[in-house]
Amino acid sequence: MKHEFILTSESVTGGHPDKLCDQIADAVVDHFLLQDPYAQVVSECAVAKGILFIATRFAGQASVDVPFVARQVIQQEGYDDEHFNARDCAIMSHIQEQAPDYYRILPRVDERTLDDAAIDRIPAQSLANVFGFACQQTPALMPLPIWLAHKLARRLATVRVQGQLPYLTPDGKVQVAVEYHKHKPSRIHSITLVGCQREANEPHPTRFRDDLIEEVIRPVFADEEVRPDHKTHLFINPEGPRLIGGPARHSGLTGRKSAVDTYGEYARHGGSALSGKDPLRIDRIGAYVARYAAKNVVAAGLAKECEVMLAYSIGLAQPVSIRVETFDTGKLPDDEIAKRLTHCCDFRPAAIVRDFALRQQPGNFLGGFYRQLAAYGQVGRMDIVTPWENTGLAERLKEK
Amino acid sequence: MAINGSQASYSPRPRPLHVAPGRARLQVPGLYRGNGLKRRLEARLRELGGVRYAEANVLTGNILVVFDPETHQLTDILIYIEGVLVDAGVTATDAPEMAEAEYRPATPPAGPAPARALPDPREWVRAVFGRAAPDPVQQEPTREGVWIGAAQVEEAWHALDAQEAVARLEARLDGGLNAEEAAHRLARYGQNALPAPPKRSELAIFLSQFVSIPVGLLTASAVVSVATGGLFDAVAIMGVVLINSVIGYFTESQAERTIRALTDEGQTYATVLREGKAVVLPSEQVVPGDLLVLAPGISPAADARLVTAQRLSVDESALSGESLPVSKQVNGRLPPEVALADRSNMVYRGTTVTGGSGLAVVVATGPATEIGRIQALAGEAKPPETPMERQLDQIGTQMVVLSSAICGLVFVVGLLRGHGLLQMLKSAISLAVAAVPEGLPTVATTTLSLGIRDMRAHKVAIRHLDAVETLGSVQTICFDKTGTITENRMTVVLAQAGPRDYRVAQGRFLRGDEVRTADSDLALQQMLRVGVFCNECEVEAGFDGLEVKGSPTEAALIRAAEWGGLDVPALREAHPLLLMHHRAEGRNYMSSVHPAPQGGRLLAVKGSPGEVLALCSQWIEEGEATTLGPATRQAIQEENERLAGRALRLLGFAYALLPEEVEVGEDLAALAPILGGLTWLGMIGMEDPIREGMRELIGQFHSAGIRTIMITGDQSTTAYAIGHSLDLSGSGDLEILDSAKLESLDPELLTALAQKVHVFSRVSPAHKLKIVQALQRAGLVVAMTGDGVNDGPALKAADIGVAMGERGTDTARGMADVVLQEDNLHTMITAVSKGRAIYDNIRKSLRFLLATNLTEIEIVFGLMAAGMGEPLTPMQLLWINLISDIFPGLALALEPPEPDNLQRPPRDPKEPIIAWSHFRRLGAESAVISGGALAAFGYGVARYGLGPQARTLLFSSLVGGQLLHALVCRSPTHGLFSGEKLPRNPALELALGGSLALQVAANTLPPLRSFLQLAPIGPLDALVAMGGAAAPLLINELGKVALAAPKHNPQPLELRP
Repeated sequence: MKHEFILTSESVTGGHPDKLCDQIADAVVDHFLLQDPYAQVVSECAVAKGILFIATRFAGQASVDVPFVARQVIQQEGYDDEHFNARDCAIMSHIQEQAPDYYRILPRVDERTLDDAAIDRIPAQSLANVFGFACQQTPALMPLPIWLAHKLARRLATVRVQGQLPYLTPDGKVQVAVEYHKHKPSRIHSITLVGCQREANEPHPTRFRDDLIEEVIRPVFADEEVRPDHKTHLFINPEGPRLIGGPARHSGLTGRKSAVDTYGEYARHGGSALSGKDPLRIDRIGAYVARYAAKNVVAAGLAKECEVMLAYSIGLAQPVSIRVETFDTGKLPDDEIAKRLTHCCDFRPAAIVRDFALRQQPGNFLGGFYRQLAAYGQVGRMDIVTPWENTGLAERLKEK
Repeated sequence: MAINGSQASYSPRPRPLHVAPGRARLQVPGLYRGNGLKRRLEARLRELGGVRYAEANVLTGNILVVFDPETHQLTDILIYIEGVLVDAGVTATDAPEMAEAEYRPATPPAGPAPARALPDPREWVRAVFGRAAPDPVQQEPTREGVWIGAAQVEEAWHALDAQEAVARLEARLDGGLNAEEAAHRLARYGQNALPAPPKRSELAIFLSQFVSIPVGLLTASAVVSVATGGLFDAVAIMGVVLINSVIGYFTESQAERTIRALTDEGQTYATVLREGKAVVLPSEQVVPGDLLVLAPGISPAADARLVTAQRLSVDESALSGESLPVSKQVNGRLPPEVALADRSNMVYRGTTVTGGSGLAVVVATGPATEIGRIQALAGEAKPPETPMERQLDQIGTQMVVLSSAICGLVFVVGLLRGHGLLQMLKSAISLAVAAVPEGLPTVATTTLSLGIRDMRAHKVAIRHLDAVETLGSVQTICFDKTGTITENRMTVVLAQAGPRDYRVAQGRFLRGDEVRTADSDLALQQMLRVGVFCNECEVEAGFDGLEVKGSPTEAALIRAAEWGGLDVPALREAHPLLLMHHRAEGRNYMSSVHPAPQGGRLLAVKGSPGEVLALCSQWIEEGEATTLGPATRQAIQEENERLAGRALRLLGFAYALLPEEVEVGEDLAALAPILGGLTWLGMIGMEDPIREGMRELIGQFHSAGIRTIMITGDQSTTAYAIGHSLDLSGSGDLEILDSAKLESLDPELLTALAQKVHVFSRVSPAHKLKIVQALQRAGLVVAMTGDGVNDGPALKAADIGVAMGERGTDTARGMADVVLQEDNLHTMITAVSKGRAIYDNIRKSLRFLLATNLTEIEIVFGLMAAGMGEPLTPMQLLWINLISDIFPGLALALEPPEPDNLQRPPRDPKEPIIAWSHFRRLGAESAVISGGALAAFGYGVARYGLGPQARTLLFSSLVGGQLLHALVCRSPTHGLFSGEKLPRNPALELALGGSLALQVAANTLPPLRSFLQLAPIGPLDALVAMGGAAAPLLINELGKVALAAPKHNPQPLELRP
């Protein structure tokens, strides 16, 4: 990575159609796990205009009213206008229940009760390269651009719900470009906010711009070190006012916002969707454990920036490769860090489920666990307690 | 608006309801119930370049326009529609919902006199009510209303005060009409009966039998026969025609009688106030101004405006499609444009009172009622054409053309060979008689009507002759969940009282295997008691147990309380109801207040478990009220969700004891500061049990290649649970379309989806039409079941509308093609099987008739062309026709279904009854038969020379060969050499035996022999003739085996997800 560069990260509000689909898919996962912690489920969702498609494959003893869950999410995300609302939208659901013999491959067991040999017998279900990253740019050890983008997006949604800017609709998008100097964020190059309003000219674009700067940008940067300066470009609805937004205007699809879910393209991320998958899907939980590893490396002070790449092979429990890249910020050779990680951290799928208590998490959160992950980042969360943000491994990594 | 008498006239403007680029849904003044305007608008819009699609809905008054946004702005479309409206004489004063808009523009159209835009209002009235409207000059139009039919006044009654309505109808609230006035009104307004469907006259049925081309040709040839002196021929021909028509007439008029018998409703009665007393009258005698007495279970006999009402709720599902009962109040004037479903101060004919009581003054009777008009509207929907008639006509025509050409050719060839003109004309005509399959219409009608009778024996009433045939091609069947798949009766199946779970089986509460009662389990007792208190059912002690009247859910609670051992009437008596608050929008629970035994008040609450639980702060654990902790709360919620996932209807119960002075409002959350919260008792789960054998039935439909679609107003969990347990998707993945607003989906999208979907959930009966149309757009043959009034249009539009005979309304039965008399969907598969067999049989008969007729043509033409003289005399040809055409043809029509009848996919409706491949095959078969006969002829020529002996051999062998060919036609695949044997067909055995005996008689009895100009033949010759007849049978049967395509069923690869 060069020392001087600009990096732009994007985030969207929970009401953005893509995110709506992610949230619905993950709300379905939550509901299945609540009823049956050993349920296996894959859920995918697409929305266009007045119709939402949702395909769910599952095995287990749960019985979930999938369209109802979807309507609940639509309602909670604030869609209530005539163009798109929970009541009227048509939901096409495709439900596939796996044959009972499915369990011959994946037993219904509580991973917490398994011994090492049994954990070893539960292999990865697919080939996957997963990435985790952490850096010292923010207290959450996340890259600054995505950190700011999430913060702005969340604020953009909050001012609608709390009533400061009641004319906004649930759909919104944020981009933040950060200028790096000597590998450190030095200033905000530009900020783009796209918000949708219910009525044309209500308010006037000038007022809209002022409102968003005052109510969204200013509060978000109040406690940030790097703030917009007088040269920072502020683009508020640069293509002109947007009406209504949401699925009535543009379609959405589960898994299309992988960069938003991870590191805002500051670091590499896996290509597959994180949302809508039960806890035994390695492409999902691998990303969590990789973040856990990377974050603990940085927290242990072994590097200022760290990317962990895990390569899983189908049929094997252990990752076939653990690669660490510290971008010349490491105190130790990368291979040494990788070795320590191998030693301290159990990367086998069943072990991840066990250590992060992934089957039990939905019961711990009122609004669902996976659904909350589906908006504003699957990693680097400070608002909810996610096990992979825990830095408890740092001490052990230091010791060795 | 008409109601305030304003006559101001503006341009009628369509109002955009939903707009997207290239697409707009507009509300159009005057479109509501305006069929003429609908047609006009649609036609004019489609003329407009750039408009891709336009569909107006007369029931909503909206139009959907899809246009090319490049060519048009929305404003262009709006202006264009406005222009069409002005042309049509619609003005802005026409409130869209006012039915009058269609009858008569409120003001004369402004501007230049428009072309005759809307049909004459009187024509419309006549179309609707089947009788002429009075001439407008002689009638006095009232200020707001229009006199229609037998002078009933049409008015927006819901927009009037109850008193105003009573005054306008000159009704008397203090005791109803007196007998004299009632009789006067009955004479004036007519009987309160819905118009019966128009009846086909006997003569019309008889005459219709003669309208077909083969019959025409036969008649013509009879005429020529008379002209050429062949009187006997003419008589014989006309005899055939007459027999044909008489059979057709009898079968069709019998079918007509069957239909008529079905639509006869039993007598219904109404309770009205007359001369101060409640009297029970036949419904027909109810007149406008009568006061109807409303009580649960009563169906209002006519449309009426409420004058008193106590907690009245009415099930209007049959009319509006709203599945939940709606509550009705006396009060207020409603805006005139309020939709039918929201006219809360009116009750309508065809609905049913589900709770409460009231009095209502009759405002419209008979055809003037809303239901009467819906019937009229539905009557305008055109049934889709059925393919067989068209095909038979087509084949008939083809055969006529073919035989005419060949007859012409034979005639010319004969003349060239030097035969006499008159002789050749006669020969050509006899050949025409032989070649035209005149048995064809007879065979078809007879088969179809026999099918009707056969199905009636299986409790399936067929209302149209063609339906029998369409039944065989049904590719998709849509059915209602409630009542068709399920029993339409709620039953408690489990309970959770405090921490304890019970399952309910055979009227007993079980914990594990132990029987528990209200006496043994206190928490259960308390919950069941609340279920009895907070309950609107009327309970009376009957002969065998309690008689419970009320909603299915509440009735189930009463029965459950009985099972638990509670004495319901005694409980009710001890705790009279003081106050009741019903559930409302946004508040999913109901509450009631009763005197408590220990003083104070008992508040009983039941409703959605989630909402009731939210009101509670404690629960009963081991007999003690303890605080409801967050963990317990969460556990109850999860249990609720888990049970809901099992498609149970769940109710939560709670209670509280209150001091007398506490006032209980609708919102119980307001009590929280005083009480601290209610006490949670538990949940009760109910289900509407699935009828027996449904899963097997669905399996049968699937193996018959028929896709099943379930339509339900329920939530999708119930839909999923039932869809899953019935295996609706046939072991594939279940696709559910969950939408309360199907009409807002793009029609093309709906068409694409409908081909995938197994369950439509949360839809109302009104959407059924959309579903049928979507499936039909995909080219599918659709059967749809229904029983409500609102199902009418869908039943009519479906290729096969299936109504339930017992539960179904008159309207539904009137619109249906098929009525299942025992409401049993199982009979539908029987009907499909019969339908397929009948179609197959007609095809078999056709195959037989065409093949045998071809042999005659081939032989006569071939031999004449070869210069062998006239091989068959006209009398011989007619003989062949009589004995070898009609009887075996008819007998083939009585073939029992082939064994794999329900294991085959439905036939392709686009495939003609005799496809080109069939023609090739039957051509080959006829050539084989001709070959056999010609071989016998050749033997005769070689032995006796070209003379009567050779012709006799030809004739005998041909008749024998044709008769035996009936055996080949029994099945296209099964036969003498195939493994599986066909079931016996006694009719065919009789027909063949009889015909062969007649042929033997013709060969042996001298008078008959001389009539047919046959020569006596010896035993060896007879053997040769038999060989010439039997050899084609064997050859054709062998051909069948060779043609049977090698069966291969590639196993689909299954991918593990």
